[in-house]
Amino acid sequence: MSQSPRTILPLTRRNLADSWRGLLGWTAGVTGAIFLYVPLYSSLSGENAGFDDIIASLPEGLASTLGFEDLSSGAGYVQATYLGLIGFVLFTIAATLWSSAAIAGDEESGSLELTLAHGVSRVQVMAERSLGVILRLVWLAVVSALLILALNDSSGIELEPINVIGGCLTLLALGVLAASFGLAVGAITGRRAYASAAAAGISLLGYVLNSLGNQSADVEWLHTLSPYHWAFGNSPLSNGADVGTLGLLFGISALALAIGGFVFTRRDVSA
Amino acid sequence: MTLAIETRALTKRYGRHTALDGMDLAVETGSVFGMIGPNGAGKTTAMRLLLDIIRPTSGNATVLGRSPISGGAALRREIGFLPGELLLEGRVTGRSLLKHYAEISGPVAPGRIDELAERLGLDLSRHVRKLSKGNKQKLGLVQAFMHEPKLLVLDEPTSGLDPLVQQEFLSMVREAQHNGQTVFLSSHVLSEIQNAADKVAVLRNGVIVKVGDVASLRASAVRRVFVDFADASATSIQSALAALPNLDHLTVTDGAVVQVTGTVEGHIDALVKAIAPFHVVDLRVEEQDLESSVIDLYSKEAN
Repeated sequence: MSQSPRTILPLTRRNLADSWRGLLGWTAGVTGAIFLYVPLYSSLSGENAGFDDIIASLPEGLASTLGFEDLSSGAGYVQATYLGLIGFVLFTIAATLWSSAAIAGDEESGSLELTLAHGVSRVQVMAERSLGVILRLVWLAVVSALLILALNDSSGIELEPINVIGGCLTLLALGVLAASFGLAVGAITGRRAYASAAAAGISLLGYVLNSLGNQSADVEWLHTLSPYHWAFGNSPLSNGADVGTLGLLFGISALALAIGGFVFTRRDVSA
Repeated sequence: MTLAIETRALTKRYGRHTALDGMDLAVETGSVFGMIGPNGAGKTTAMRLLLDIIRPTSGNATVLGRSPISGGAALRREIGFLPGELLLEGRVTGRSLLKHYAEISGPVAPGRIDELAERLGLDLSRHVRKLSKGNKQKLGLVQAFMHEPKLLVLDEPTSGLDPLVQQEFLSMVREAQHNGQTVFLSSHVLSEIQNAADKVAVLRNGVIVKVGDVASLRASAVRRVFVDFADASATSIQSALAALPNLDHLTVTDGAVVQVTGTVEGHIDALVKAIAPFHVVDLRVEEQDLESSVIDLYSKEAN
């Protein structure tokens, strides 16, 4: 039997080709957020800027909820404004939209049926489209790291370049975690709403558990349940990325994708 | 004689609803096999089972000698599929989309896509989402035919196509058959596939109620007849036609021209002979769509 010449990753390439316009918009969003927040550090952190006074004037709970206790150092500032807040929100939304569209959205629109009727296995569809989503998140993480490094001196945040990379890698890991939950639940249920809820839910849950855990020593144990705290609890921008944490986040993501793929190959696909 | 498709007691249930109920089907290699039935009869369910998009509740299917489930991607590379509800989206040109589908199906000969597009009158440079329903259907046909698969599974292939393109489609089906390919297609109207199919299965409520060649199905179909008479009284026509055993739903409207309508089951020979003595202004015989003809017929038999 003659095998047709297979091209490399046809579904991933299609996924990326279909989404480059959207990715351009996300790149602009990430760029805008970094250019808005990071340069502000130099004007807020000077002798007379009184950054610490502002923090002190906030209600105790609010500052800790937002992770603003350590705004006076460059690492603390970038962590509190971009990595742990705006960047985290952008990565979560992107991961939610992309992961829910990849399988479940395509199934609800009716297009998945025709793809599956061709010479591709379900595992291949799951793997290649997941790769497409993850590659887009990697791109946003690379853009984030490069822009923060570009502003490193002029803004006075003065981070170790390796820690910038580590911090953005940690942010990526959280994005991949959310995307994996969205992809897996989409592959299992075929419902875009469930996939979105799973992706956004895991991010939101992690953030809320972290914020609650910050409130008092009595509930600090909640940190152990929060992927957000696993990722950012040890301040990767000052201390570098924790390999164990990255392994845990990527490991859970891989497990979610594997479970999703396992169920996907065994269920009916609806029109 | 080999079979391209064989199903044994193939059944698909969704909860308490049975979409396909013990279908036994044998489609010979190299034949053109039609499946007709009203919407919801199970045609699409049967085809999706053959493509392994859904899995049977019980029973089994063999496609090109293999099970759709274990045959997997390698088997589907030898099948060309046109879904019943073709939803094509995206900001891509038809050519780009077909190139993508060519990458994930069997090998496509150079120039084949352009040749098919030209035959069907499809502009490949236009964006897919801007195409009309008919043009999307053409795109669907091109992706099904382009890799010259051993088996074509076409769900309502002629829907949305204008009559000229339907003719071109029929010639594509004949060519495929000439090349030794097998064609399995469905429709909810007999007339759309009667010129293409050698053999037809009639499906109703998930059950095959009849398998036969097109000629025998046509002969047993119910037709709607319209006859206009001049120079005759309504009562004389009424009495001449009332006795015909296979004429039902008779209405006679009096006037300068007496208008008669009714339905004829089977041959119209008796009707033609009964009206011959009168002055016939007009005679029209229309084949009803399948839902109200063959289906009626077999549901009557079932009762």
